[in-house]
Amino acid sequence: MTILATEALTKRYPRVTALDGLTVAVGTGVTGLVGANGAGKSTLIKILLGLVPASEGSARVLGLDPATQGQEIRRSVGYMPEHDCLPPDQSATEFVVHMARMSGLPRTTARERAADTLRHVGLQEERYRPIGGYSTGMKQRVKLAQALVHDPKVIFLDEPTNGLDPQGRDEMLRLVHRIGTEFGISVLVCSHLLGELERICDHVIVIDAGRLLRSSAIGELTQASQVISVEVEEGLEKLAARLTETGETVAVEGRALTVQVRADETYDLLRDAVVDLDLNLVRLEQRHARIEDVFR
Amino acid sequence: MSQPTGVIHDIGYRHYDGPRLGRGGAVVALWIYSLRGTFGLGRTFKSKIMPFLLFGAMMLPAVVSIAIMALLKQEPMSYPDYAVFMQAVTAIFLAAQSPVLVAPDLRHKVIPLYLSRPVTIVDYIGAKLAAMITALLILLVVPITVQFVGEMLIDLPMPLHTHEYLAALGGSVINAVLLASIGLALASFTPRRGLGVASVIAFYMFTLAASAVLTGVLESEGQRDAASWTILLNPFFLVNAVQTNLFGTQPVEGLPFPSGVAPALILLAVVALALTGLYARYRKALAA
Repeated sequence: MTILATEALTKRYPRVTALDGLTVAVGTGVTGLVGANGAGKSTLIKILLGLVPASEGSARVLGLDPATQGQEIRRSVGYMPEHDCLPPDQSATEFVVHMARMSGLPRTTARERAADTLRHVGLQEERYRPIGGYSTGMKQRVKLAQALVHDPKVIFLDEPTNGLDPQGRDEMLRLVHRIGTEFGISVLVCSHLLGELERICDHVIVIDAGRLLRSSAIGELTQASQVISVEVEEGLEKLAARLTETGETVAVEGRALTVQVRADETYDLLRDAVVDLDLNLVRLEQRHARIEDVFR
Repeated sequence: MSQPTGVIHDIGYRHYDGPRLGRGGAVVALWIYSLRGTFGLGRTFKSKIMPFLLFGAMMLPAVVSIAIMALLKQEPMSYPDYAVFMQAVTAIFLAAQSPVLVAPDLRHKVIPLYLSRPVTIVDYIGAKLAAMITALLILLVVPITVQFVGEMLIDLPMPLHTHEYLAALGGSVINAVLLASIGLALASFTPRRGLGVASVIAFYMFTLAASAVLTGVLESEGQRDAASWTILLNPFFLVNAVQTNLFGTQPVEGLPFPSGVAPALILLAVVALALTGLYARYRKALAA
């Protein structure tokens, strides 16, 4: 099922072109939107929410047109912005209840859902204290809670792991994954950190300078570029030369050699080469391919 | 060991398919939320002090007036002039509470969260404006209404001032709309609350001084016609002039206001200008 789709979507500002003929389709589950800062991710979200008109092209969110039906879209969509957006003098509970009411939930429902949602994102007793005293991780959770409180069908997360330490990052990513799977809410998550998205996404869209670079299922993406890394005590050049002779693609990376896996015989060739040259093998491992490789 | 009496089950995420009030419900909720905010309700004790102190000050003349009616059987305080006499208190309330409505959302960049919901920027401004108008109406209408109830209960040797009271009610509405538009427009230009308070109070002081000085100078020069216009620089006199022309009440202190629709047109123009400024301010915030 297609949750959202764009067709030759273009957005030109007086000085820059933020989106340039972008055509993508996003299905259910967790979809990663990857791009460097300024690649057009935030602009895309603003257009999809119906807050900014597109210069050219069209878009559909949940079968609705953002240009004319923004209101209906915003009823069933949640949005977590990248920047700080929380009033420090209110408690998380007060704030999330208010935001639930702004989504049109009746008063008692707003209270119940705010309490539920804050529990789901992992805020305990501290939710009654003013937000001003929260850590970055807690603030990110409140931002996520306000985007979830009205039970949207789709949720847009703009850099949810921004400013978090490694542990907070892991927790946030796990939470995003749960939203996409357990909660059954489709997620479009933006990030400029490619490595973290591959852990939680079903599908990844890579954009660069407002253009589509790649859109594929996560399996395809990592499979396409399998690499093994070899480290030997001495004679790295000899090994590289031998492998190149046999038609393998190799590259020296510091003290290790990376070899592109062409087919299964690559493993045999590598083993035989090491034995023939009588090298001391230190390490031989299959490197988990990273989305970064897409950019190489 | 005793058996646990209750067990907390993780029932997981629950979807919501109940009623959604949509845009209208959200706007009403924002209006009430903001109105409560202008009186510090649902906020800290500190934020309640100022609005309630000012509300108490507004009530004082009405209470004294009732006492005078009861004990001395004298005329109540003039209904149409109440707002002019108490203009300092109303102006301080406007200056202190306008930034409360607009500054935090601007300062902490909460606006995008509103706009990602069914609420539009016009709804947002409308709800804030309605909240300020309502707050000012409470401030202006409650004292004269209490005084009018007092007048009805006390048996005075003169007819009830019903017409004056009704005219003052109409004047209060005009006053509330004008002041709320100016107050929010000025306060919205800075995300800092202190600056917002200062700019609204500075605006009031400026109009107060300019109105008095220019009128004084022109009158001493014998230019009574021009003086009757410069007096309208003070928004409270402008409202009083419109009230006088609209409802046929006596002008405050017998001031020679220009007659006809001109004061009303000036008032409408000022409101339109303030609202345009307010809208432009939020358009800018939206684009950012």
